[in-house]
Amino acid sequence: MTFEEAQAELEQIVARLERGEVGVDELTKLWERGEELYRICAAKLEGVQGKIEELARSTQTDEN
Amino acid sequence: MSARDMSRGQSPGHVRFGPRHGASIGLVKVEATEIEGRKVYSVRGFNNGVARWLNKLPTLWIEGEVTELRRQERWASVFFTLKDPEDGATLPVQMPRGQFDALDLGLDEGERVHVFGRAELYEQRGELRLKALTIERFGLGAHLATLERLKRKLAGEGLFAADRKRALPRYPRLIGLVTGNDAAAKRDVLTHIVQRFPPANILVAETYVQGPRAPVSIATAIGDLCRRGADVIVLARGGGSFEDLLPFSDERVVRAVADCAVPIVSAVGHEQDTPLCDLAADLRASTPTAAARLVVPDIAELRAQVARARDGLHRGAHRATERHGQRLAAMHERLRRAPLLALERRRARLDTVHARLGALSPVATLERGYAIVRRGDAVVRAADQVTAGDEIAIRVADGSFGARVE
Repeated sequence: MTFEEAQAELEQIVARLERGEVGVDELTKLWERGEELYRICAAKLEGVQGKIEELARSTQTDEN
Repeated sequence: MSARDMSRGQSPGHVRFGPRHGASIGLVKVEATEIEGRKVYSVRGFNNGVARWLNKLPTLWIEGEVTELRRQERWASVFFTLKDPEDGATLPVQMPRGQFDALDLGLDEGERVHVFGRAELYEQRGELRLKALTIERFGLGAHLATLERLKRKLAGEGLFAADRKRALPRYPRLIGLVTGNDAAAKRDVLTHIVQRFPPANILVAETYVQGPRAPVSIATAIGDLCRRGADVIVLARGGGSFEDLLPFSDERVVRAVADCAVPIVSAVGHEQDTPLCDLAADLRASTPTAAARLVVPDIAELRAQVARARDGLHRGAHRATERHGQRLAAMHERLRRAPLLALERRRARLDTVHARLGALSPVATLERGYAIVRRGDAVVRAADQVTAGDEIAIRVADGSFGARVE
């Protein structure tokens, strides 16, 4: 699953919850799915950020 | 001076002038000394004889370039050398200073002139020279008219059209430089190219840039450089007089520039009249230095650009992830609140329903003294639903009790 797919599904879930279209029984299940999607997105973002910082550090050492 | 003055009382003799094996073209009397049966002439006598013979030659117009012009107030004559522009043959010329000054020509070195004069011998040295009677500046007008015609003709063919102009390569692999062999222009272009862009590869074609051989030489050099892989060509010539720059307006050169397979920069320094090759080139530079600026990028500027681009890249990447992070955090916050929100809505709906339920309840009616009568599970709504002896249940506001129908 890509970051964009996860984010799109997460946004859809939040919108559905906020519109109150969700049955009470389904509520917990959707919420848990939302949290899972959030963790996926956050992990991917963290990974990318780490890589960028690493690259920036390595090009700076090239220069010196 | 007459022959008589020079005779020194010696017996007359004859000297034959003219081609050694040709026919006689004239005889001049000069006194000779008889020594042991041999006629001997003095140098002075000989020179004088030649001088007098030369005097018989006709006066005529001679065309050439003025060089080595020497004029001094204390000299009776002005001297210069007339040079043949085709093969460099020279002829010394002398003209009385008063006459020369009266013409007020303001001649410069290299100017083409017509001299009306005749051959004479400078007897003291036995040197042949031309005695000038008058001088006319030649060529400028004629050249200008020819140039103008050529310009119109080539323009008519579209050789100077703006849509023919090509952009120079941003990073040339091989720069072809056409220039004179000792030209300061060459040094200028090379120095500035290498200063701006040290990794530049340059192929120099040295040509005649002046004189009758220049046009073919320049045109050939342009083609050669293209064949040898140049991807941009600079045609450079330091400043010069109108006539010095004529080869750069020669039809062969202009066509070679227009037909050049790769972009070409004309860097022919000139003050007034634009050489035609400037019009045919893809770009023109006012000086060889400016040409260098056109053909190669400034390496310091390139380095700065790359550094700026990399900074931008880092900042951009950082900003992009940051924005994603913010959006995700906001979404997460909404997600956290959404279930409670949804539950609250549900509860609100439940309360509404409950209230409506309350409104429908019969309790209020019962409190006003009404009762609900049931037989079994059925509510009794009509008298004929019951018969005497039936067990019925009666519900009032605060409770129920049983009864029997009579």
